[in-house]
Amino acid sequence: MSVKKNQKNSVRSTGNKPSAPKHINEANGTKQRPNSSTSPKKTLLNRLPLLPIPIVSFLLIWWWAGIWQGDVFRMIRENSFFAFDQLLMQYETCKPYGMLWSAGRGLLMLFRYPILGGALLSLMLTLSCWLLGYAMRLSARWRWIQWLPLCIYTGIITYQGLNNYYEAETGMTLGIPTAILSILIVWGIIIRSFSKKDSPAMVRLPKDETRKDNYLQLAVVALIGVLPAVVFGNVYRSYVRPIASMQISVMEQDWNKVIKTAEENAEESYRPLAAQYAMALVQTGEIGDRLFNIRLDYDTLYIKGLNGEAHNALNMYQMECDFHAGLLQTAYHHAMESMAMEGPTLRNLKMLCKTCILRSEWEAAEKYLTILDRVPFEGDFVEKYRAMLHDVEAVNNDPEFAVVRELEPIHDNFENRFIQPVFLGYTSALGEGRSMSALKNSLMVNIYTKTMPQFLMRCQALVGQNPPINIGQAMALMSSKYPEVQKSFPNLSYYIPELQNFLNETNQYIQARPGITEEEKAQLLKMGITPSGKDTLISSENRALHARELFPRYKGYYPYYYFFGNLKATKKKDTKESSNAGVN
Amino acid sequence: MKKVLYLIIYIAFNLASCQQAYNLPTSFQEQEEQANIYPDYRDVTIPANIAPLNFLVKDSLGGDFVVELRGEKGEALIAGSTDGSIQMDTTAWRTLLKENRGKQITVSVFAQHNDGWVKYKTHTLTVAEEDIDPYLSYRLIEPGFELYRQLGLYQRNLTNWDVHTIYENNRVFNNEDNHCINCHNYQNYSTERMLFHIRANHGGTVFVDGDKAEKIIIKDSLILTSGVYPTWHPERNWVVFSTNKTGQTFHLYSDERIEVIDEGSDLLLYDADKDEVSHILHTTEAMETFPCWAPDGKSLYYCSAETPFIKMLNDSLPKHEADSISAMWYIGNWDSLRYDIKRMAFDEKTRTFGEPEMVVNASAQHHSVSVPRISPDGRYILYTQGDYGQFHIWHKSSDLWVKDLQNDSCYALKEANSEDVDSYHTWSSNGRWIVFSSRRMDGNYTRPHIAYFGKNGQAHKAFCLPQEDPMHNVLLLKSYNVPELTKDAVRVSEETLRNTIYNTEGKKATYK
Repeated sequence: MSVKKNQKNSVRSTGNKPSAPKHINEANGTKQRPNSSTSPKKTLLNRLPLLPIPIVSFLLIWWWAGIWQGDVFRMIRENSFFAFDQLLMQYETCKPYGMLWSAGRGLLMLFRYPILGGALLSLMLTLSCWLLGYAMRLSARWRWIQWLPLCIYTGIITYQGLNNYYEAETGMTLGIPTAILSILIVWGIIIRSFSKKDSPAMVRLPKDETRKDNYLQLAVVALIGVLPAVVFGNVYRSYVRPIASMQISVMEQDWNKVIKTAEENAEESYRPLAAQYAMALVQTGEIGDRLFNIRLDYDTLYIKGLNGEAHNALNMYQMECDFHAGLLQTAYHHAMESMAMEGPTLRNLKMLCKTCILRSEWEAAEKYLTILDRVPFEGDFVEKYRAMLHDVEAVNNDPEFAVVRELEPIHDNFENRFIQPVFLGYTSALGEGRSMSALKNSLMVNIYTKTMPQFLMRCQALVGQNPPINIGQAMALMSSKYPEVQKSFPNLSYYIPELQNFLNETNQYIQARPGITEEEKAQLLKMGITPSGKDTLISSENRALHARELFPRYKGYYPYYYFFGNLKATKKKDTKESSNAGVN
Repeated sequence: MKKVLYLIIYIAFNLASCQQAYNLPTSFQEQEEQANIYPDYRDVTIPANIAPLNFLVKDSLGGDFVVELRGEKGEALIAGSTDGSIQMDTTAWRTLLKENRGKQITVSVFAQHNDGWVKYKTHTLTVAEEDIDPYLSYRLIEPGFELYRQLGLYQRNLTNWDVHTIYENNRVFNNEDNHCINCHNYQNYSTERMLFHIRANHGGTVFVDGDKAEKIIIKDSLILTSGVYPTWHPERNWVVFSTNKTGQTFHLYSDERIEVIDEGSDLLLYDADKDEVSHILHTTEAMETFPCWAPDGKSLYYCSAETPFIKMLNDSLPKHEADSISAMWYIGNWDSLRYDIKRMAFDEKTRTFGEPEMVVNASAQHHSVSVPRISPDGRYILYTQGDYGQFHIWHKSSDLWVKDLQNDSCYALKEANSEDVDSYHTWSSNGRWIVFSSRRMDGNYTRPHIAYFGKNGQAHKAFCLPQEDPMHNVLLLKSYNVPELTKDAVRVSEETLRNTIYNTEGKKATYK
């Protein structure tokens, strides 16, 4: 009976009542409550083993930071910079808290290998939480509180999404945890010096925790710290991990992985994702066959620019798109603007270096390589490109550079004379190309931007050839309006039956129709399209309402894109130009 | 035990603080070529008051490096390193140069290869009789295209490594405070009076008088934009500005990167005592820019490009149509717009200018010139010549030229020029040194280069502004802009400038 009563008290003790019996650890003076080892009752909770929560927390956060969010942290690193050189770090150190942000950037360099960086970050967070509990002298019952900062951290990183590295102070990502950890270490040392309070177990099993205390902490770490971050990330920031992953694959020139990731996320429609996909297709020569395999409607991203206002994310891919469109000077231009605005980053330095190598500006390329050589873990990049200096043949033989070379302009012109962004404007208006690839890319930009007159004019250069699938589909589509197209390309008959079927099946969605319901109106507004009238659903609105449901069926088929894809672009212009411009 | 500890600390401290002594190798193999050093300080003429010309020996086979500088007089200076970075003792350097003023110093570079020491063919440093003005002001900015963020004005003491910040803009992006700084200028090599512009937020022109500063707004509906390129009258408190409607555009496939094109420019006279501004030249048939007073203040030099087509447009079409067509015309004729140097006499008593007269007719030779700077003795015009346009800092064809006003001959400063951009330049107050911006080191980042200007009107080989760490120019990701020499240090504090810029609205100049 007494044992049972004791058990009852023990269970009650995990509740809020302060009357639970507490035992004094005579050895160290700390209060201890009886744990379940003294309770014979075999409840489910009691059957579970006690866990070393710091170790569990470390492992969970390691997984989250090193694997789940590993690519995101790697991209934060790529948009950051650190070197053991005062001059190189001056851009950062002259800012308020510059030294702290620099320290954060230094630690961030470990995310060159996310498993390594993840281990460090996890260690820092776990240690901080553990020290917080110690410094606040939390009893076992309240120890779950110590894990809340960890939850806040994972929450903020997940919520921020792309803003963690888009025109952001990347030093904060690890700088703030560093500062907190440092403060807690000092605080802990002070407490240890004066109170001689023993620290709770970190590696060993906790002696002073009941199972309820123990599992409450586990719940906080797993169910508040990690699980919501994963769920929220998957639901509301679903684009972040694929985009970061694709950016890394572009850097590593793993084009197949870029394509695979994009097509696996084909229904996720975001500009940075589409941009990386298009770059990869240009590199593999498949742009004419696969561009429309992903949805190109461009949903709204949660992204902010330097001034804190919503941004169109153009700077996330602009310099890379310029580069892969063969516009080396424009890529250099935008990389330099990025350096002026955000300071040196690995991303802009690498772009500056690569464009200089392709333009045989060896001294400038050597300068950027020398700087990158001072960045931890950048040896591979430096070694690869330093070997190309003064060796035009090696440059031309590089697979990535070889494709870019074929797309370089033949004649000079000015960026400002083309529709922006230039990589689209220039390519769509291409008058004379260096290769057939350049022409095909130009045709693809024409059909992407639905500038069909320009498309038809350029098509003449393909007479006698078998056009890529999407170009063929576009020609077939236009041949209904311009029959002479089919005369020039007799093979188009292959595409005609499919086109007829498509038009028959989708005609009701293509045409304007009378009447618009409140539900449809709300749906259009949600899509960013303001309905034009009450009583009539105009053609583009009717298409917009049905675009999404038709996509899985017509994925990759150009006429679908022509009628149903990218409709918002014609309704809304969301490009924002910086006002921080001048002649330098 | 304590004594031993102190001894260890003492020895460690001494080891850390003392420079390693290097000895010249006794046996070595002589090489036929000179050492490859960065920056290239081989066979240059230097002022006796310049800071040590530290350099990097580029020799991948070398393990240890020793350098000997031996003058005709005094002790030799020996320096060395294990990584090729030769950083010389400042005191020993100064002594060596002082004792060898007007003489030559021989520099021997030794490198230890696997099979023993080698000695490269020696090069020389010629120490000029004349010193250079000790202070060099400049702006640091990324060689960017349109955008700017962190930039500042600095003053370097050329006799040592000290760099003084004159003014830096906001270090962190802030919509309300972002501003650009440009066109710093001094009156007659003195920092008693200086000015510079603030663009965007907190905009205006900051005039400094001793340790006081004031912000002036030089704008009027009749003025194209505001004051741009300045030149301070050598004695009076008058400044001539050009006012330029400037645009820029970016090359897609060219050796050049940027074209900065004016779509109109005039000349203004600003009286700083009365805060009055007036037009000197206000025309549509020509664009006038880059004014420069003669050292005696009796004439004004400037650049001018003829634009009769624009005048015709303005005479025959409504303004908005003329503006629209002329903007297209300028961008369509970017490589055929050429500038000459002209001069107008100035009567100080009546404050009137005479008729323009041609001084350098570059357009007739299908060239274009900009930034005329008159030597302190009034004999030479130093200018930049390129193939077209006026913003030669972005033209690889640009070189430094002079016109000798005594015999009307124009010639390039071949020894000082490079294959890359050589542009924005200034004289020293004694007329024996010129400092200019050059992109010769990497084609992208401008670095100040110093050249001796001989009494025969020829410049010597230029050398890059020395830095304590020879890698400085590699690691610095900013360009040096608008180098200006002065005899003294800037007196106004950065705090005063910041207060003036941030906390005053600025006094509006009266247009007369």
